[in-house]
Amino acid sequence: MTPRLSAVRAVPELPPARIALLLGGLVFLLMMVFGLVMKASQAELLSMDPRLFYEIMTAHGIGMVGTAGLTGLAVLWTFLGRHVDLDERVFWAFMALFLSGVVVILGSIFVGGFAGAWTFLYPLPARSGGVWSPATAVVYLVGLALVGVAFLLVHLECARALRSRWGSLARALGWPLLFGGQQDPLPPPTVIAASAVTVFNTLGLVFGAAAITMSIIDILVAGTILDPLLAKNMIYFFGHVFINATIYMAVIAVYEIVPLYTGRPWKVTRLFAGAWSVILVFVMAVYTHHLLQDTVMPPWSLVIGQVLSYGSAVPLVAVTAFGLLTNLHRSGATLDLPAALLVLGVGGWTAGVMPAWIDGIIAVNKVMHNTLWVPGHFHMYLILGQVAMIWGTLLWLAGGRRSGGFVASDRLFFASYLIGGAGLAISFLVAGAASVPRRWAVHDAAWIVHDIPGVVFAALVLLGASGFFAKSIVGLIAVPEERVGR
Amino acid sequence: MQEQVLAVSLAAVAAVAAVFAKVLRELQPGEAGWSAAEAAAKLRARLLWGSLVMGAAIALLTLVPWPHAVATGPEVVSVTVRARLWAWELEPARVPANTPVVFLATSEDVNHGFGVFDLQGRLLFQTQAMPGWVNKVSWTFAEPGRYRILCLEYCGLVHHGMIAELDVVPKG
Repeated sequence: MTPRLSAVRAVPELPPARIALLLGGLVFLLMMVFGLVMKASQAELLSMDPRLFYEIMTAHGIGMVGTAGLTGLAVLWTFLGRHVDLDERVFWAFMALFLSGVVVILGSIFVGGFAGAWTFLYPLPARSGGVWSPATAVVYLVGLALVGVAFLLVHLECARALRSRWGSLARALGWPLLFGGQQDPLPPPTVIAASAVTVFNTLGLVFGAAAITMSIIDILVAGTILDPLLAKNMIYFFGHVFINATIYMAVIAVYEIVPLYTGRPWKVTRLFAGAWSVILVFVMAVYTHHLLQDTVMPPWSLVIGQVLSYGSAVPLVAVTAFGLLTNLHRSGATLDLPAALLVLGVGGWTAGVMPAWIDGIIAVNKVMHNTLWVPGHFHMYLILGQVAMIWGTLLWLAGGRRSGGFVASDRLFFASYLIGGAGLAISFLVAGAASVPRRWAVHDAAWIVHDIPGVVFAALVLLGASGFFAKSIVGLIAVPEERVGR
Repeated sequence: MQEQVLAVSLAAVAAVAAVFAKVLRELQPGEAGWSAAEAAAKLRARLLWGSLVMGAAIALLTLVPWPHAVATGPEVVSVTVRARLWAWELEPARVPANTPVVFLATSEDVNHGFGVFDLQGRLLFQTQAMPGWVNKVSWTFAEPGRYRILCLEYCGLVHHGMIAELDVVPKG
């Protein structure tokens, strides 16, 4: 039972998703500079006013999450477009709304002084202690709403196209195969993954939009009082689902591109379809692991948060990572830079999930939550996971040299990125184990020993990423040579 | 606990890296071995069942007894924790060692994180301080001394300056 690769179309040479990926690459670089600057400030290598630090922290957070979303969606759009008919005008509308939202958000941060962190945890946006005005908070929230609507638009278009081609989302998810044992034709891996992401990210965005709207009403209508626990649940549900969706969208590139190197199609089995249905449920149900230190939450909800943190890792390890390794092993593939980055993406994601699920154990969370342990694990599965997959996709789409393996500059940039990403994430983890708090502009003298290696590793990540971006630009400008599988 | 958590996590990360590195060294065509279809299916099944058994064991070992259980009884000392931008108010701010203490944490404005650090600067425990709700957390301090309280939930401009102290005095 294999996907019908022969029936798929070629990847379109032209925008808009390719423009989104390129733009995303550029913003990733800028946000990495922000990250490096923050680390250097904590290490006391440069002097920065805490107010500016927290503004940069807010921009870094929303910038990275938004760009992960943008690039993940561009991957989904690029490859789903090979299997279903998508209306390109929707992606242009997405880009217009997304960029409008970005401008509004940047204005609220760097002109209005908003520094409420990307999570806009109620009621901080409205109650800043006089640091930024409530009007500024409204502007930030409106910008966020524009971005959210942009994503919703694309997911609705994907849902329409999937239903139109497969009859229902259930069929596109492979449920006849999963529950009935057979389905003809089988939905390709991309279609199953895109269907699952479309469902859970749409729900996440709806909850996010509701939380944003409630927060705006709270600011604008005097006397409104929201339940902070309800708002926290909604915001973390949205935030958790959204950032996970960015990775689950990016992995579509692995399904589509790696088989072109190995010559082995990515098989759709009952296990594969089942894993994605499990992911669909777990991604949404696990969000309470962000509230493990809210003891007023019903205990059963915290148990679910802990158990599903571990459970979420199982389909990743046993299906996605295992599937990739069996696809690669003894395949005769010659990996080049794009393929290596895609493989790294799955490896880094799998590795980063380890400290993440361990942090989901309530007893561990009690001493690790909101320390630098948290950025430790998410920097691992984002820098070496989602973002690595995006660089791989961008470089593959940009074409250029294929597939004679690595040239010297490929090795330099890849090694720099890998060592930098792993080192930065581990330096965060070690600092978290030493109880250094997260999101502190000023660090105690005793903590600086953890910050200095972080600066070096962050610089290495930036060097590697700059190389990937430069190669992507060169690849797009140059006449593409023959590409693997194109 | 933190050292063990770090060691286990880094070991798991290293194991993932080692498996990927091994496969990447074996890309050239040859004897498939474990990755041949039938062998891979068996290995995957073992991986899945092993993961489920391990997950159940971890859940049992770490959820029983309930990690958020709050101490009760006549010996218990209650401390009310009120957070506000950017200060802590503890009532009382002095507690006896070797006595169960229950902290009742809330906030007057935004979310804060009530984190208590030991004399070596190691985080002992934490809970969220949230407006409109009271989170409870228990701890028995083994050693008298001055413990630091740091804010662990980002709360704006002076988040890093939201520090207080708790005196733990010898019992009796």
